Amino acid sequence: MSDLPRRISGLVLLLVALALPLVMSDFWLQTGLFVMATAIGAVGLTLLVGVAGQLSLGHAAFAAIGAYVFAWSTGESTTSVSGLGLPPVLGLVLAAVVSAGVGAAFSPIAGRLRGIYLGLATLGLVFVVRHLLVNLDQWTGGFVGRSVEPFAVLGFSFSNRDPDYLAIAGVEFSGLHRLWYLFLLLAVVAIWLASNLRAGRTGRAWANVRDSETAAAAMGIGVAGAKRSAFVVSSAYAGVAGAMLALAYGRVAPDVFSLTASVDFLVMIVLGGLGSVAGAVVGAVFVTSLPLVLAQYSSALPFLAAPGSGGLDPSTAARIVYGLAIIAVLVFLRGGLAGAARRLRARLRPTPAVGQPAVAAPSRSKETTR
Amino acid sequence: MSYLLEQVLNGLSYGLVLSLIAAGFAIVFTSTGVLNFAHGSIVLLGAYLVAVLHDSIGFWPAVLVGLAGAALVGVAINAVLVRNLADKKPDTAAILMLGVDIVLLTELTRRIGNQVLTLGAPWGASVVRFGDVSLPTGRVLAAGVTVVAFGALWYLFSRTDLGVGMRAAAADGPTASLMGIRLSRTAATGWALAGVLAAVAGIFLTSFPAPGVAPTVALSAFAAIPAWVLGGFDSVPGAVIGGLLIGLTSALVTGYESDLEPFLGSGFGEVAPYVVMIVVLLVRPSGLLGSKEAVRV
Amino acid sequence: MKHRLRAAATLSAAALALAACSTTAPSSSSGEGGGDDVATGNGVTDSEMTIGMLTDLSGPFAAGAAVQVTETQAYWDQVNADGGICDRDVTVDVQDHGYDPQRAVTLYRSMAPDVVALQQVLGGPTSSAVLPLAEQDSLYVGGVGWAGSALAFENNQLPGASNAIQAANAVDYMLDDLDVPEGSTIGVVYFTGDYGGDALAGAEHAAQERGVEILAQEITPATTDLSAQASALAQADVAGVVLAAAPTQFASLAGVLASQGADVPIIGMNPTFNPSLLTTPAADALLANAYSMTSISPYANPDSAGVQAANELYASADPDGALGWEVPLAYVQAELLKQALEGACEAGDLTPEGVVAAFRDSSSTDTEGLLPDGLDYSEVGQSPTTTVFVSKVSADAEAGLELLDQVSGPSAESFSYGG
Repeated sequence: MSDLPRRISGLVLLLVALALPLVMSDFWLQTGLFVMATAIGAVGLTLLVGVAGQLSLGHAAFAAIGAYVFAWSTGESTTSVSGLGLPPVLGLVLAAVVSAGVGAAFSPIAGRLRGIYLGLATLGLVFVVRHLLVNLDQWTGGFVGRSVEPFAVLGFSFSNRDPDYLAIAGVEFSGLHRLWYLFLLLAVVAIWLASNLRAGRTGRAWANVRDSETAAAAMGIGVAGAKRSAFVVSSAYAGVAGAMLALAYGRVAPDVFSLTASVDFLVMIVLGGLGSVAGAVVGAVFVTSLPLVLAQYSSALPFLAAPGSGGLDPSTAARIVYGLAIIAVLVFLRGGLAGAARRLRARLRPTPAVGQPAVAAPSRSKETTR
Repeated sequence: MSYLLEQVLNGLSYGLVLSLIAAGFAIVFTSTGVLNFAHGSIVLLGAYLVAVLHDSIGFWPAVLVGLAGAALVGVAINAVLVRNLADKKPDTAAILMLGVDIVLLTELTRRIGNQVLTLGAPWGASVVRFGDVSLPTGRVLAAGVTVVAFGALWYLFSRTDLGVGMRAAAADGPTASLMGIRLSRTAATGWALAGVLAAVAGIFLTSFPAPGVAPTVALSAFAAIPAWVLGGFDSVPGAVIGGLLIGLTSALVTGYESDLEPFLGSGFGEVAPYVVMIVVLLVRPSGLLGSKEAVRV
Repeated sequence: MKHRLRAAATLSAAALALAACSTTAPSSSSGEGGGDDVATGNGVTDSEMTIGMLTDLSGPFAAGAAVQVTETQAYWDQVNADGGICDRDVTVDVQDHGYDPQRAVTLYRSMAPDVVALQQVLGGPTSSAVLPLAEQDSLYVGGVGWAGSALAFENNQLPGASNAIQAANAVDYMLDDLDVPEGSTIGVVYFTGDYGGDALAGAEHAAQERGVEILAQEITPATTDLSAQASALAQADVAGVVLAAAPTQFASLAGVLASQGADVPIIGMNPTFNPSLLTTPAADALLANAYSMTSISPYANPDSAGVQAANELYASADPDGALGWEVPLAYVQAELLKQALEGACEAGDLTPEGVVAAFRDSSSTDTEGLLPDGLDYSEVGQSPTTTVFVSKVSADAEAGLELLDQVSGPSAESFSYGG
């Protein structure tokens, strides 16, 4: 099939993403940062769970490792916490590498377990890492966490300083704007890499291992190696996502990487449609932004009771709507949001090209590997 | 010595309550293949029903309503949602249960407010003494009830048609279905059983020594996950052993925290169950009593 | 092919952007308020000002937070009815973060440009995520709890004594008034985290000063059955227990200790008591041995004009509302912010920075008995006071706590952060 319409819509979306900061308020910028950071994590997880078939409930643990490695390697030593003071670019690379390394170290364990067994073993990882984060307070700052140095390249800082004032087309570019473009670049690269990986030789090997380890072995695929590489790649993605979360918060604390965070990653990829890179991105948009947007705007809904009056107040309603939305997608949409979009596109096929529904990610390519 | 004995008894009685929850996980998982993330909310729901009803209808009738309510909600979740999933895959079902959990827990939290709702259990804050060791009456009762409950489960699974049917359905659904076992019925029974066990656990977890129903009770289901996992995913006896092991570990790690702290860091009691779980999974990937997962060629 | 197209588009966009780029700030004109000579900034117009409240209306603290929202809104309605502040009406922007740091940060971003101060950011993880951002914006933040870690922020106003001061006072009080002998062991049961950790630090300092031993037991909010901890405390033969946790743990610990025959005083920190505990099976144990050591006056305090005003206001705002320490707490947080806003107005600088400067200017803030008198906010990093309220759990007092005394013990006074 032709990739042209998809590529064009991807390009349009990219241009929109580039232009958005010019018109958005801080609320939407901050939401966007969280969305892009979690999207990268979700893409990594969908490679592991959706493509390679290894269930992981421990993604937040790897994200935590990335976040803390970044914070520690780029931070300065103070009286309470130590730091290396490395350049942030190096810190970001280290975050990915160390997370990947831990992933590699964990993969022999992962290799012994399958499916839900593996999922629950990785659940344990979240608690173990959390325990370490709270107790190794010389490096992590303990329960309260530590602050994170702003990202900077060659003296240009992605914060409100250096340069203190920067405007593009008459719009002041604060730290949030600058981070937006950094995150967008990282997200595009990560999505592009993941799509290629998934469509390429490695991705096909992973999918074969997922479908049948025996058959994959018979075809000459090293099963253990394929599993390990999926774990390593996914952990590296989580590490980068963690470092980005650290930047988006401006600090790291163990609470950010709780079990809920792990589970949220899983919700993203299942809602989006397992194995689909674009689906993971859409799922991240949904899971990350919906609670934020509901929290911000639910008080505008007229039929809800005032907080404290005992009736159904906006915040409770928002939380329930979030839960119901998850249920509705899973009950009504086969293959998650990506599956629904695929069917919608198939139905719209006779009238091709530009006017088709927005399908999120830029390089949504080759999802025929199944 | 009596200190050690007291901690051991504490741990074992708490472990038995955990094993009720763990058995609920195992039964739902074997009968429908669902990782029930909403189990904690059902534990809370059972206790909540007892707490709000005991004043008007008395404690024991309230207990009956609580058990029935938790069972019904389980059956309804299965009939309305799980059976109608668009993709009938384990991961999808697990996430579905998360959605259910969010809805149930949010609503229950709103209703409970910042009150600590008491259950009105007739055993109150009394204790039973064995020599110089004392145990809360609620705990002793919990141990007794749990043993009876597991006896009943054993009878159900080994001596009744329904129970044998459930085991057959768990072992091989399609074949069992061909043999005339109605899978919808075995699934509903599984969810109902899990609901009842959850409500019983909820009642014991919220009566003395715990002060009453608070939303945090739902978290206790997470404490039961290691118990379930290390016992083996599909084994009810495994859940009992897992529960006892986890209860014992938590109690001992907490009881000797001041001695362990220099090596393990503070607050290790919370992590210990997961560490035990990972270690057991490493040695026996399908848990202590779980059946080996078949590798299909 | 398409790759090249995309690259070209990106490049041209970048070129365009560079062409429109500027690094010189336009001469800033932070709006001088119309007729009066007060400088204004975010969240203040000629006739109105907006303050923010980031609270938890859908998470674990929802119920108590709702009481605080009701009381706060009633407070500012009253202020507005009396003519407002600086001739401006005060609007409260309430947002719910649901105890989720991610939501707290995002909501903060949306709120910060439109408010002159944040009266409250509820919750440990949420406030520790927001405080550094607010510090960069020099925005007043009140009501973040009593953790010592929050003291380091210049923009944070702590409502009364910090957790370490409370715990140090608790140890002092046991030795001075509750017949706990020197050389004995005192148990500290505390939540993981900055609240519990800070309390432990205070108790350890006091133990060193007063010659007692500490037996520490760490728990989490999910620990609702404290049998194991209680056995360990009873085994060590503790002469008293300091509890830095929540109401559920207070009831469980008191009940189990009593059932094991350990008849020792238990002193809970700020948020550990709730009147509904007196309906639980642990009620007798609590009535016998439980005390509360708080930064803020308990609900029942007939001698304090401030507390009476707070309670009357709440009774008229929500006649059926739950009574408890949240009522005076919300009132005094609003009161502290009101004083800061008035100070900023007098100094002619009603900007966020001006509000922070105004409250930091005061070394003796009084709140009509809601908090101890003479709060000193001039020193960043130290608790504003060493005085706390001691109450005893009582079936006769309204909201279950009977005020015994205000105390400032020797080890509370010698405690110092970072020293």
